[in-house]
Amino acid sequence: MQNTVLVVGAGPAGLAAAAGVAGAGMNVVLVEKEDRLGGTPILSGYAKLVPSGEWAKDAMGRMIKRVEDVRGATIHKGAKVTKLDGEAGRFIATISNGKTVECGAVILATGFTHFDSINKPEWGFGTFEDVVTTTQVEQMVVAGKIACPSDGRVPDRVAILLCVGSRDRQIGREWCSKICCTVSTNLAMEIKELSPQTDVFIYYMDIRTFGLYEDRFYWKSQEEFKTKFVKARIAEVTKSPDGRLLVKGEDTLVKRPIVIPMDLVVHAIGMDPNEDNPEIAKVFGIALEKHGFIERAEHYTNTCGTTRRGIYAVGAALGPETIDDSISQGQAAAMRAVNDLHALVQKIA
Amino acid sequence: MAIHEKTLIDPARLMTTDSLVVDGVDVSGHWNTMILPRYLTDYDDDFYKIIAAMPGGENVHRCWQCGSCTNSCTMYAQNTDFNPRYWIYLTNLGLKDEIIKDKDIIWTCVSCNKCTNICPKDVRPEGVMKALSHWMEEQGITPKASSSIFDEEFLDQVYETGRMEDGRIVYNFFKKTGQSLTQDWLVEVMKRMIKYMPVSFLMHMGLHLVFKPRTKKWERTQQVLREYVREQKAAAHTPQPKGVVHA
Ligand SMILES: Cc1cc2nc3c(=O)[nH]c(=O)nc-3n(C[C@H](O)[C@H](O)[C@H](O)COP(=O)(O)OP(=O)(O)OC[C@H]3O[C@@H](n4cnc5c(N)ncnc54)[C@H](O)[C@@H]3O)c2cc1C
Ligand code: SF4
Ligand code: SF4
Ligand code: SF4
Repeated sequence: MQNTVLVVGAGPAGLAAAAGVAGAGMNVVLVEKEDRLGGTPILSGYAKLVPSGEWAKDAMGRMIKRVEDVRGATIHKGAKVTKLDGEAGRFIATISNGKTVECGAVILATGFTHFDSINKPEWGFGTFEDVVTTTQVEQMVVAGKIACPSDGRVPDRVAILLCVGSRDRQIGREWCSKICCTVSTNLAMEIKELSPQTDVFIYYMDIRTFGLYEDRFYWKSQEEFKTKFVKARIAEVTKSPDGRLLVKGEDTLVKRPIVIPMDLVVHAIGMDPNEDNPEIAKVFGIALEKHGFIERAEHYTNTCGTTRRGIYAVGAALGPETIDDSISQGQAAAMRAVNDLHALVQKIA
Repeated sequence: MAIHEKTLIDPARLMTTDSLVVDGVDVSGHWNTMILPRYLTDYDDDFYKIIAAMPGGENVHRCWQCGSCTNSCTMYAQNTDFNPRYWIYLTNLGLKDEIIKDKDIIWTCVSCNKCTNICPKDVRPEGVMKALSHWMEEQGITPKASSSIFDEEFLDQVYETGRMEDGRIVYNFFKKTGQSLTQDWLVEVMKRMIKYMPVSFLMHMGLHLVFKPRTKKWERTQQVLREYVREQKAAAHTPQPKGVVHA
């Protein structure tokens, strides 16, 4: 049991953790609740990933194959952990498919849940067909056509509204979802590539394309793809008599209210805590932080730790995170778990 | 409803029709005063392409509204309504009416280039100010600048005769810009010319003013030149066709 690590969740973070554990010569048991591996980028059908530009299905496909092919990996799909007994070094996990797993450590890579735009009814999602989310536009890009769902026409104008379900005290979401600015500038370029006659407007409060994403995404989409950036937080989306949508708000730089016709309105939805988190906290005996993400231990020497010894957490389970960083954390947690198990073995010997 | 307290409202937004009858009720004058809505109802998506096609305006779409240009601006220090950052934003969104509201100050840019030297995105705001002034002049929104009138007079003469006569250009330029030919300094120049120039030269000039000599076989060249200038102007003012997104 001290040479087995249990990984929960098979997104970018969990797949990296599983590959890391197996690569270090230990056994890994991967439990994924959906019947497919790859996590959100696969389940939600993302198009080209930031920052690599590689199609999600290719990039995630390689990660999945690596885990499927490696010696020492057991995969349970369509399954959840329902009970965890024991302590660090000798846990016994019960899986919903009836199996039990003896393991020395657990890595939680259970990710996030997309913000549901229905919770911001004033922005028209669920009321007007041509109000969609970034995940739907990702899927349009994969399908190779940008179109208004209402009648299939190619939009003359697209408005992307940033921070939908993030940075909003009204709905109890006080965090920045970190990647949606970059994803939105990337989508603006993909829209323009597929439909050169479409003008894309991004309505923003701040543009947070951090680090090297600044020039590669923000600057490029503005300078080469002529995306227009409008400083306004849209107050309301309605429909005009001619069937087009109207975005209403205050343009804070012109200091004037605006009512502008658009064909397609896109919500750049944020990352909520995984809706399973209360259940996960109970099953694994760990704490959640105030927003509902998994609470992390002091990071400097207890890297990837949670509030319980022997249980680690990585990726978007800890808060909004990018794919690249989720992968690095998965790999780091694998190293951490393996190290701790080695230390235990040495102590006992 | 009739509006009584008008002092609170920008006069440009008050609308009154002198004689109006609605459903048989006479609501002429004061009684039908309406306030125009304050909100902006549309963008002109391609307007920035017109400015970008003019010399100096090429990088207008790069602006991210940091305000460094306005902060450094010589004219802003004199008049806080002179705001290059703001006009660049309006250009990019195509809010033309808002730009035109500032037609009387945009052209006062003194081309000190402090803005261009400080802009972190290399927008070259000085060039944008030039391009905007040019556009407004072309559209007849602002009167023609003296320099444009001079250029036109010069070109017209070349088209017509294949050469230019100093005297005639100066004469016509003064006439078109409404400047008196008897200004003290001009009279002084004339006097000195008569005093110091050889008589034959002055006679030559005088004759040319009257007879307008032409370059031989100019017609053909004239056509080619006209066509060339027309093409160049058109090229400079044609926005990139929609769909071309890469520079
Ligand atoms: C529209 C959009 C576009 C994005 N595009 C990019 C991009 O281009 N580049 C980028 O870096 N990031 C992007 N992101 C962020 C990216 O989705 C996350 O960084 C990434 O998915 C996090 O990986 P993860 O493995 O931590 O979590 P997830 O990908 O969410 O994977 C979690 C996995 O755990 C499973 N799971 C959940 N709960 C349980 C449970 N109780 N038991 C068992 N299994 C469970 C889930 O089914 C899932 O398979 C985007 C986000 C959005 C919203
Ligand atoms: S990354 Fe950008 S869009 Fe997303 S929440 Fe943060 S500021 Fe808003
Ligand atoms: S060049 Fe014109 S706009 Fe620029 S700083 Fe000088 S006066 Fe201002
Ligand atoms: S300094 Fe440059 S980027 Fe900043 S507001 Fe002026 S033109 Fe725009």
